[in-house]
Amino acid sequence: MSLLLASFGFGLVAAAVLAIATVGFTLQFAVTDVLNLAFGAVMIVGAYVAYWINQAGITVWVGLLAAAVVGAVLSFVLNAIVYAPFQRHHASPIAVVIVALGLTLIIEFGLQSYVGGTSVSYTMSQGHTLQAGGLQLTVVQLVILALALASMVAVHVLLAYTRLGKAMRATAANRSLARTCGIRSGRVVTVTWLLSGALCGLAGTVFGMNAGSFNATSADLFLILILAAAFLGGPGKAYGAMIGALVIGLATEISAAYITSSYKDVVAFVILFAMLAWRPTGLLGTRS
Amino acid sequence: MSGTGLAFYLTTLLVYGAVDVIACLGLNQQFGVAGVTNFGYIIFQAAGAYTAATLSLPSQSANGGFQTYIGGLGLPFPVPWIGAMIVGGLLALPFTFLVGRRLRGDFVAIGLLVAAVMANLLVTNFRPFLNGAAGLALVPAPLHSVLDPQSLSYQWGYSAVAILLAAGTYWFCRRMTESPYGRTLRAMRDNDEVADSLGKNLRMLRAQMLVIGGMIAGLSGGVLVGFITLWAPSAWGYAETIVLFAAVIIGGAGNHAGAILGAILVPLGFEEASRFIPAFGPAGLIPALQWVAIGLLIVLFLWFRPQGIIPERRRTTPAAPEKAPSTVQFAVHPRWGPAQAATGLEADAGAGIGEAVLEARDLSRRFGGVDAVAQVSLALSRGRLTGLIGPNGAGKSTTLAMLAGTLPASGGSVWLDGRDITSVPAYCRARLGVVRTFQLASEFKRLTVMENLLSAVPQQRGESLRGALLGRRYWAADEGVSIERAWDMLDGFGLRAQADEYAGDLSGGQRRLVEIMRALMAQPEVLLLDEPMAGVHPKLATEIGQHLIELCHSGMTIGVVEHELAFMDRFCDPVVVMAQGRVLAAGTMAALRQQPEVVEAYLVG
Repeated sequence: MSLLLASFGFGLVAAAVLAIATVGFTLQFAVTDVLNLAFGAVMIVGAYVAYWINQAGITVWVGLLAAAVVGAVLSFVLNAIVYAPFQRHHASPIAVVIVALGLTLIIEFGLQSYVGGTSVSYTMSQGHTLQAGGLQLTVVQLVILALALASMVAVHVLLAYTRLGKAMRATAANRSLARTCGIRSGRVVTVTWLLSGALCGLAGTVFGMNAGSFNATSADLFLILILAAAFLGGPGKAYGAMIGALVIGLATEISAAYITSSYKDVVAFVILFAMLAWRPTGLLGTRS
Repeated sequence: MSGTGLAFYLTTLLVYGAVDVIACLGLNQQFGVAGVTNFGYIIFQAAGAYTAATLSLPSQSANGGFQTYIGGLGLPFPVPWIGAMIVGGLLALPFTFLVGRRLRGDFVAIGLLVAAVMANLLVTNFRPFLNGAAGLALVPAPLHSVLDPQSLSYQWGYSAVAILLAAGTYWFCRRMTESPYGRTLRAMRDNDEVADSLGKNLRMLRAQMLVIGGMIAGLSGGVLVGFITLWAPSAWGYAETIVLFAAVIIGGAGNHAGAILGAILVPLGFEEASRFIPAFGPAGLIPALQWVAIGLLIVLFLWFRPQGIIPERRRTTPAAPEKAPSTVQFAVHPRWGPAQAATGLEADAGAGIGEAVLEARDLSRRFGGVDAVAQVSLALSRGRLTGLIGPNGAGKSTTLAMLAGTLPASGGSVWLDGRDITSVPAYCRARLGVVRTFQLASEFKRLTVMENLLSAVPQQRGESLRGALLGRRYWAADEGVSIERAWDMLDGFGLRAQADEYAGDLSGGQRRLVEIMRALMAQPEVLLLDEPMAGVHPKLATEIGQHLIELCHSGMTIGVVEHELAFMDRFCDPVVVMAQGRVLAAGTMAALRQQPEVVEAYLVG
C-alpha cells in the first residue's frame, strides 16, 4: 500500500511536468497546425538557460522565469523563420514534420557542441519532505505540482473566458473561417507560439529539476511521452492533453514501482498504440 | 596507407555503401514513391541485423555465456540473410493497422517514431533478449568455415556480393515503380482520398509498402552485421532514420537513382568525411556538428530544392498516331459502347432505362450538432442525367460523398442495383462501378495527364504487386489497350498536346477536364460529378454536357451537382432540389420553376 502511495506521489509529479509540456505542445498543434517535434529540443534549451543563471549564483526559480522567456522567444523565432515560411509555400504536413525533425537535430546537437556531452544538475535544495497519509513529497515536488496546477488553470481561463482564448479556439477549428470573421489569425498564431513556448521553457526547467540531471539530448525520450500524452487525449485538445498527461504520468511511475523502472516508458507506448488502434482521434477527439 | 590497408579500406567502403544504398532504396520505395512516411524505418534494419546475428551465432552456452540472446541456431549462409528479410517483413505486420485511411499520414509517422524509440529502449534494457546495451559481438561471418574472413579476397568477395544485392534491390524497386502498380502507388502518394474513390485499396497498398520496405531494410541489416560482426542498440537510434530520410530527400525522393546518390552522399559521405577531418575541439564535438549539418541539409533542401538533386523522372508516353479529325469527338467507353452491343449488355441497358440504379434511403449526416443532410431519399435512374441543385450548404456535396462512400453516413442506407452497400467502403464501391469526382481540384499532381487517366483503369494486369513483378511483358499489351483509350479520350477533350505534362501544372479548367476524363476511364456504371463545370469554358461545358447525354443514352447513370442553372435546364432530367439538408422537390426544371417554394429557396435567392 505504501509502495502504491509513494509511486502515486511520483506519478503525480511526473504527470505535472508532462502536463505543462503536453498542453504547450498540443496548443501549438491545434492553433498553428505544426506538429513541432522540436518541442523537446526547445525545452532543453530552456533547462540550460535556467542552469546558466543558476550557475551564476542566482536561485533556479529566477532561472525558471528566464527559461519561460527564452522558450517563448525561441519558439516564436522558429515559427517566424522556418515553420511559417514553409506553410506559406504550401508544404505538406509531412514535410513540416520532417523539417521539425531537422530542427531538432540542429538545436540539440548545436547545444551539445557548445555545452558538451556531460550531464548537469541545478544547485538547489529539495526542501523538507512532507508527509500526508502515506504520500511523501518534497517541497520542490509540491512547487512543481502547484506550478502545473497554476498553468492548467491559466490555460483553462484563457481558453474559456478571454477574447484571445476564443480567437485561439476559433483559429484552431478553422483558420480561414476565423480570418473571414474578423479574427486576426496571424496575430493569434504568433501569440500562441509565444505562450506555448513559455510553457515549453517552463516544462524544460521543471523537467531538469525532477530528473535530477540532464544533458542536451535528454528530452528525446520525454518528447515521446509528450506525444503519447497528446495523442491519448486527442491531438490538439488542451483538456485532453491534461488527462493524457495524468494517465501517462501515473501509469509510468506506478508500473515502475511494480514492474521495473527500465520499462516504465514502454507502458506509455503500449497505451498510445492501444489508443491509436481503438480510437485514433483520442479520448476527447470527435469520432469521424 | 599501405596497399593492403587501402584495399581493406576500399572494401569496407564498398560494403557500407552497398548497405546504405539498399536501405535508402527501401525507404525511397515507401516514402518517395508511395508516400508512406516511416519514421521507424531503422528498426526494420535492426531487426534484420539481429536476426542474421542470432541465426548465425552458436547457441549462447557455446560462447561461455558472456553474451545472452535468443536463438543462436548456428545456421549456415545464406539462411541468416533470408531470415533477416523475412523478419524485417514480419515486423511490419503489427504496424499495418496504423496505415488505414482513418489515420493521417503524419500521425502514422509519429506512431512509428514512437515505436522506434521504444523498441530501442526495450532491447537496451532487456538483456536476455539480445544482450541489452552491450549488443551482440563475434557474429560469425558468412562462410567463415570454408573461407578466411580476414583475407583480402574474402573482403573483395563480400563487397561484390553486397553490390550485387544492392543492384538487385534497385532492379526490384524499379520493376515495382515503373509499372501500373507503381503508378497507383504514386497516385496514392499525391492524393489518397481520390485514389480511394477510384477503387484503390489504400490499406493493402500501404501494408505492402511497409512489408516490402521492412524486408529490404532487414536485408541491409543482415548484410551489414555479417561484415562488421557486431550489432548494438547504439547503432540504431531513432536519429539514424533521419539520416536515411536526409539521404532520400537530398538525392531525390521518388527517384531510385536519386536514392542511390543520396545514400552515397549522406550516410556514407558523412561517415567517411569524419575520417579525413583533423580532430579538433573536445571529444564528441565533431559528431555533434555532423548531426547539426544533417539537420541543416534537410531543412535547406526542403526549402530550396524539395525535389532533390535528381528529381523524379517524368514518364512520357510514346505518341500514338493522331486520328483523322472525322472520328467521333468523344470516345464512348467499351462497356456501353456499340462494340459490346451484341453481347446483350446493351439490350439490358435499353430495357432498364429509367429504373433506379443508385438509391439513397433516409440518408443522414451529422457534423457535430449540425444536420448537414437529414433523411434524404433520392434515386439515380439508369440512362438519366440527374441534377442536384440547391443553395450553398444544402448538403448536395455531402449527399454525393455518402453515395460514393468517401464519407460515411450517420444514418440511412445506400442501395446499388437493389443491394445495400451502406457499409461498403469507397474503393469497393468504385470497383462496383460507382465513381465520383471532387469539388476541389483533385488531380494527381506529380502524375502526367496520361498517367492520371491510366490510373483510373479498373482491373489492370500490371496493377497488382504480382503483376508488376511479372514484368512488362505480362502487362504491356493490356496497358497498350488502356493507352489507346486514353488517347481517344484526350482527343475528344482536346488535351492531346498536354498528355505528357504534369497534371499539377495545368490550368484550373484543364484540371477539371482531366478529372472528368479520369472518371470516365474508370468505366463507371454510375458517375457522380461534383460541380464539374466550375472553371470550364462555357462552350466546352456544353460539349461535355452533350457527351454526358450520349453516355446516358448508352446506359450510364449520371448524377451531377452543379450551380450552373443553364446546364441543368439544358441537360438534366430529373433535377432534385435540396435545401438545408433536405430534398425540397424533384422533377423537370420546367416543372420546378412552377413551384413557389423551390423558386423561393433557390432559383431567386
